[in-house]
Amino acid sequence: MRPDEALPALKRPGGAASSGTASLGPASGGAVGGAFIDGLNRVTRAPWLVIGVWLSTVLLALPLAVLLQQQIRTHLGASMAAQSAAEGVNFDWWNEFLAQTSGVGTSFVPAILGFAAVLENLSTFADVRSLPTVIAIAAAMQVLMSLFLAGGLLDRLARDRAIGAAAFCSACGVYFGRFVRLGIIAGAVYWVLFSTFHGWLFDDLYPSLIAEVTVERTAFFIRLGLYFVFALPVLFFNVLFDYAKVRAVVEDRRSMIGAIVAGWRFMRRQPIAVWALYKLNVFLFLLVLGGYYLLAPGAASPNAIAFGMGQLYIVLRVIVRLQFAASQIALFQGRLAHAGYVARPTPRWPDSPAAEALLK
Amino acid sequence: MLSVLLHTTARPSAQDAGPDRRVASYDIDVSLDPATRTLTGKELITWRNPGQIAAYSFRLHLFWNAFRNTNSTWLKQRRLIGDTPFANRPADDFGYTNVTRIARVHDDGSETDLTKALQFASPDDQNTDDRSLAAAFLQDAVQPGQVLRLRVEWTGRFPKNFDRTGAIGNYFFVSQWFPKLGAFGSGGWMAHQFFANSEFFADFGFYDVRMTVPRGWIVGATGVEQSRTDNGNGTTTHRYTQGDVHDFAWTTSPDFIDLRQDYEAPGGAPVTIRLLIQPEHRHLADRHFAAAAAALKYFGEWYGRYPYPALTIVDPVFQSDSGGMEYPTLFTAGTRWLSPRHSNDPEYVVLHEAGHQWWYGMVANNEVQHAWLDEGLTEYSDSRLQFVAFQPNYLVQRFFGDFIPWQYRDIPLQRATDTNYLNTFRRNPDRDSLSVPTAGLWPATHQNISYHKAALMLHTLERMHTWEVMQRVLSVFFTRFKFQHPTPDDFFAVLNEVTGQDHAFFIEQVYRSSNTFDYAIERVVSEPIEARGLMESPNGLTFQEPQVEGQFRTSVTVRRLAAGQFPVDVLVTFRNGEQARQQWDGRGRWAVLEFDRPVEAVSAQIDPERHLLLDTNNTNNSRTLEPRGDAAATKWSLRWMVWLQDLLMNAAFFV
Repeated sequence: MRPDEALPALKRPGGAASSGTASLGPASGGAVGGAFIDGLNRVTRAPWLVIGVWLSTVLLALPLAVLLQQQIRTHLGASMAAQSAAEGVNFDWWNEFLAQTSGVGTSFVPAILGFAAVLENLSTFADVRSLPTVIAIAAAMQVLMSLFLAGGLLDRLARDRAIGAAAFCSACGVYFGRFVRLGIIAGAVYWVLFSTFHGWLFDDLYPSLIAEVTVERTAFFIRLGLYFVFALPVLFFNVLFDYAKVRAVVEDRRSMIGAIVAGWRFMRRQPIAVWALYKLNVFLFLLVLGGYYLLAPGAASPNAIAFGMGQLYIVLRVIVRLQFAASQIALFQGRLAHAGYVARPTPRWPDSPAAEALLK
Repeated sequence: MLSVLLHTTARPSAQDAGPDRRVASYDIDVSLDPATRTLTGKELITWRNPGQIAAYSFRLHLFWNAFRNTNSTWLKQRRLIGDTPFANRPADDFGYTNVTRIARVHDDGSETDLTKALQFASPDDQNTDDRSLAAAFLQDAVQPGQVLRLRVEWTGRFPKNFDRTGAIGNYFFVSQWFPKLGAFGSGGWMAHQFFANSEFFADFGFYDVRMTVPRGWIVGATGVEQSRTDNGNGTTTHRYTQGDVHDFAWTTSPDFIDLRQDYEAPGGAPVTIRLLIQPEHRHLADRHFAAAAAALKYFGEWYGRYPYPALTIVDPVFQSDSGGMEYPTLFTAGTRWLSPRHSNDPEYVVLHEAGHQWWYGMVANNEVQHAWLDEGLTEYSDSRLQFVAFQPNYLVQRFFGDFIPWQYRDIPLQRATDTNYLNTFRRNPDRDSLSVPTAGLWPATHQNISYHKAALMLHTLERMHTWEVMQRVLSVFFTRFKFQHPTPDDFFAVLNEVTGQDHAFFIEQVYRSSNTFDYAIERVVSEPIEARGLMESPNGLTFQEPQVEGQFRTSVTVRRLAAGQFPVDVLVTFRNGEQARQQWDGRGRWAVLEFDRPVEAVSAQIDPERHLLLDTNNTNNSRTLEPRGDAAATKWSLRWMVWLQDLLMNAAFFV
């Protein structure tokens, strides 16, 4: 019997798999809605994860923000232009700064304002626009940091109990190497999607499709269709790699190719549940975006409020990101995982001479 | 055959001009074959020598030959900046004008064939591959005041939707389409090849044009429709006429929505505003009409009334590349399907192209040599009108393939800096000077110079003299040179005359040189006035320690950081609110200005009213002793940080 065909049978405390299923059964995690709610509960029960991931974005962004702050301060000097820049938008000064700046300063454009920032960033991915080098490096660092944290995050969410900083870091360390291997595969896939496939869709196919189009609306809907076509494989692989990570952690898998195959098997056997859950999570993401659209601070908002609102939005995005993982774990655990269900070989006793010595 | 006389027959001419100004008139029959994108035409050109010397030859523009092959001067000039628009185009996308027959028509009706005498000319760059200008010698010279008649037959193929000319789908925009004479002046022919930067130059005349297109297609053209004839073979011929214009453009498509509104200025004749709009832009029709009416009203009041009976706005189709171009009594606008209110799209382009009816249409400068004169005056005018009648005008940016607009309600665009395009200009302010002939401007910066620098120069003049004075300058310039071909010298002469000032220094600095301007406050120091040393006393010279006199001396060090020179004011504000002002001639590289007051200064500004809009670095124009740079920098870096965190979260999505 292949692991995927095993039914949940035994539940006992122990590894990530068993502890995760201890608090839920097929009735909660097995149902899509149940997995969604369970995922949210797991995230809310793990506030330090939220804080930690949020802090990771702060840690990456803050040094660059300080760099930008110095550039702006230097440019403004003791100029009276700072007065209006401090109180609202001094667009003339802003343009002058942009005309003279370099490095991180080149990314300080009007699109950072309020909800435009969200559109700008989504558009950057959808249209695969290049980023200033320093920003691209920051994004790469974020990917690396996320790879490192992923093991700890998933382990904590799978166990659904406090594990302590040491265990969290241990899990991060245990899975980092595996997720780097997975990341290489994922990176290659995404590279093909974002360069070759996107290039073919939007640099070759799109221009040829609209070559004779004389109605802008038609061209827009063609582009929208191509975004959809582009999103399909991106989301498919995103979900595949998500479940590969889930299975790697829940089942303590070491082979990442095996984890991908196992993730695919789960998706293939539970397509409705997997995609229904994904849609629910996307809906949650859109809710967060909608909220920020309504509440995003204007340029003249007091600094504390504007910064607070911005950070609240980032925290909500972190929660949504963790919710994707937590609900996927809950779904997997609810549908397949059980205590005896691990991918690694059954350990043979003694584990090590040290362990043997301890038992003597 | 059905012939319909339309109601507008009665008003074919401009009201302020007359036959004496009609130098080159055209009587044209042309038919369009949409399937092959070709025109077949015959024209009778009637030209009266307006100069003081005899014409021994004539020059004929064949503009569509600029798109004949990649050796044309037009495309070679584009290639200078790495732009190769025809590099991968199929054969059908290239365009051409082929003169199949040309003959001189004598008074008795006989004709002398000149087809073999017609030769391509390249007087500007000696590019023998260029076919955009042709010339032929005449056996009998045309003496001043005499008339030359030429009968020309030609075929032309539209380039594929390219640079304001061409066709896409069922949309045909037909401009620079007929063999057209150059202008003739006191020095002879003023005819140039077609350059990527330059636009056009021709003499005024009367146009009577019959355009045959598929039945049911809507036609818009320069002038007024006089008749419409169903030919019984699936085609219809539309006849348009217009006097006192120097060009004729037309468009046809079955898809236009044809809308009209009448505008009547107080004391003026009514003008029919005709809007040929795309169905997807139907919801923006009112905004087109409002902008056109504002242009007729305000430009009419400011400069002089619009004398033609019709003004046609063509809304081009998506990807036609024909938007934003002016022709007599007709222009192309251009807008977007999603166009938020309070962002001047389409208003801006309507105001700009309507403005060209004054600057280009009636005051017809040589655009090959001095395009800034019409482009600068028009940009200056539309910018002012946006400020007067279309506020607020918020910044809009588009996302997702440049489709989805986002309006920044925090950023209302300002006339001085935004709609004059200072922000574009400051990135390349010194590539050329305004006095360089337009055709010879570096292609990438032509717009920066001819449009933006010129508009900034004119707005600087307005700030020097007030709008009322500037309006009078432009009004006199318009009145004096309406239906003529003025030069920049004519403009500057009117400027000097109306203001009563000699602007030679200004012209030298701003117009003739490519100098940039950058004035700065380098240092502001307020210190108690102290003196120590050997002082006069009843005992003779005695040494005295510092004595505070209850006064502060504020020293302001000002600098000229760029080559451009301009007289500027320096304004100092003191702690008690008092202000003091001194003028600096701005010619030295630096100066120290001193102000003695009972209190310290809090700030100093150079050019505080920002008269010199060409100063590309305004941030260094002021200095305060209570700076807020830290607060601003912290605020904006924290806002930026949220953007970056959001971006990082997007990146984390893939892990």
